[in-house]
Amino acid sequence: MLGNDPLIRTVGRVEVAAASPSRRGSADRGHTGFVTFLGRREVLPSVLIAPVVIFFIIWNTIPTLWLIGLSFYRFSLTSGRAPIFSGFYNYVSIINDGATWLDLSRTFIFVVLAVGIETVAGFFLGLLFWGSDRLPGRRVALTLLFAPMVVTPVAAGTFWRLIYDPTFGVLDWFITLLGFPAVRFLSDANLAFWAVLAVDIWMWTPFMVLMAMAGLGSVPRAELEAAEIDRLTLWQRFRLVILYHGKFILMLGILLRTIDAFKTMDLIFDMTYGGPGTATKLVAMTLFRSAFESFNMGSSSALAVILLLISIAFTATFLYVLYIRERRAAEA
Amino acid sequence: MSERMREHLYHAVLWLVALVFFAPVFWIVLSSFKTAPQILAVPPILFFRPTFANYAKLFADPTFEHHFFNSVVLSVLAVLIAVAVSFLAAFSFSRFRPAATNFLMFLLLSIRMLPGSAAILPVYLMYVAFGWKDNFIAMTLFYAMFSIPFSVWILKGFIDGVSPRFDETGVVNGASWFSIIAKLTLPQVYPGVVAALIFNFIFVWNEFLFNYIIGGINTSNIPVLLATNLSQGGGIDWTFLSALTTVYILPPILGVYFFQRYLLVGMTFGTVRGEV
Repeated sequence: MLGNDPLIRTVGRVEVAAASPSRRGSADRGHTGFVTFLGRREVLPSVLIAPVVIFFIIWNTIPTLWLIGLSFYRFSLTSGRAPIFSGFYNYVSIINDGATWLDLSRTFIFVVLAVGIETVAGFFLGLLFWGSDRLPGRRVALTLLFAPMVVTPVAAGTFWRLIYDPTFGVLDWFITLLGFPAVRFLSDANLAFWAVLAVDIWMWTPFMVLMAMAGLGSVPRAELEAAEIDRLTLWQRFRLVILYHGKFILMLGILLRTIDAFKTMDLIFDMTYGGPGTATKLVAMTLFRSAFESFNMGSSSALAVILLLISIAFTATFLYVLYIRERRAAEA
Repeated sequence: MSERMREHLYHAVLWLVALVFFAPVFWIVLSSFKTAPQILAVPPILFFRPTFANYAKLFADPTFEHHFFNSVVLSVLAVLIAVAVSFLAAFSFSRFRPAATNFLMFLLLSIRMLPGSAAILPVYLMYVAFGWKDNFIAMTLFYAMFSIPFSVWILKGFIDGVSPRFDETGVVNGASWFSIIAKLTLPQVYPGVVAALIFNFIFVWNEFLFNYIIGGINTSNIPVLLATNLSQGGGIDWTFLSALTTVYILPPILGVYFFQRYLLVGMTFGTVRGEV
């Protein structure tokens, strides 16, 4: 442990020991005994982390244990009865429930489509914006471009409802102008999913543009010029130079986006509330409705634990990519 | 086509892309200056004499004042607490690497990867049992907890980038740890602190679900007002909603304008550095 200490490793024990009398002297003059104790090298690291750990225990560890415990009980907040232990009943019934699987597969399709389209569109727009250094008003233009991803999702849901509205929405006005019949975007079971997907793409393509610009920014100009001199084809330049340097940032972007798309909730709450029927019911909405509409706390807890495991898998993948990137950087 | 013409065309295309992405936002901003019949008019009206009546009505509305006040106080307080606490922890993680560093960093991150309704369910159970629901302090502290993971990740990355030789110099010259942390390290990771503040602020500012579930009339912010006002169904007051939305999305958009150099670091948990 001591060998890892950057202070001791680089300064060396002797110097620190030589300096310590004066340090202790000044500390004694300035503080009470307890504060000096807290500042001692052996306790300081723990003292510094303590507030975060306390926050963590109260607002995360205790509730999570509570959740895991409750997932083994039959418990409804509306029945007023005490929880009844039921073993793995909740998990088994979720696995046997076709509706949950449908919601999960709908979420999966949503995530794949959203992230796929956003990545491709984001990358092309990123390429387009690559040479934008001399764009007049660049900062304003980029602010407008990046605005969708910082706009309050609930507010975005609000104004997209205004745009999608069948009687006075801009979109339907345009469609009827072209001679087609008006479309009820959010109340048509076949269209609502695509309407929500389109809003997600509008909202998050800018994020992939940002990541693509960062990835392209990390490509060394010299290598690109060398590739040009060596008469590499465009595809070879893209694969051997651009993708080689930019792939980690792009990968992190795709992963972050995947995790975020899996969580999609606010937008749906506002635009369709999962409906019509179950057309836009993604898994976060499923959990919301079973927990805070039906108040079935036992089976909702089991579903939450399953989602927790999925998120942990996502997080592990994310950290693995980070780790590979760091190792590559250390080797280079 | 001359070189100059081509560059003009290229720049025009870039601006067009930016404007296309901004168009839906622009539409609601435009609507907020219209009267109710103008908003609902078919075909849509692009040119009209702007009215400020919607804003006058909005700012005179006590519901708006109450929720707006909640939004501001909740986000500012939660973020300040979170960043202060996270800075200390990040310093410890970066400099001393205590035993469970990697595990704790992983745990912290996994909170933010969880779907909102799964994250809030256990907290809801706890708040109901303890009687903390609809309590302003309990709400603030929950938001602070939720802002910690991001802040620790981003600040650790920045502190890692500061050479430990600064600390050594401090130690050798007899500085207390307080001075080393507050006077030697803090000024050098100033950009990280700003990024953590801004992006957590935007997160709490925009947050709806947690407030809706563990909050109540005392704590609810503007997103809750927006969502519940809309889901009431029937006659939606679009003049009120468009003015409210416009006012509310202004701070995040200004944040992106003024802190554009931190945008990348802010959107990626500090794992990708640089500017665009």
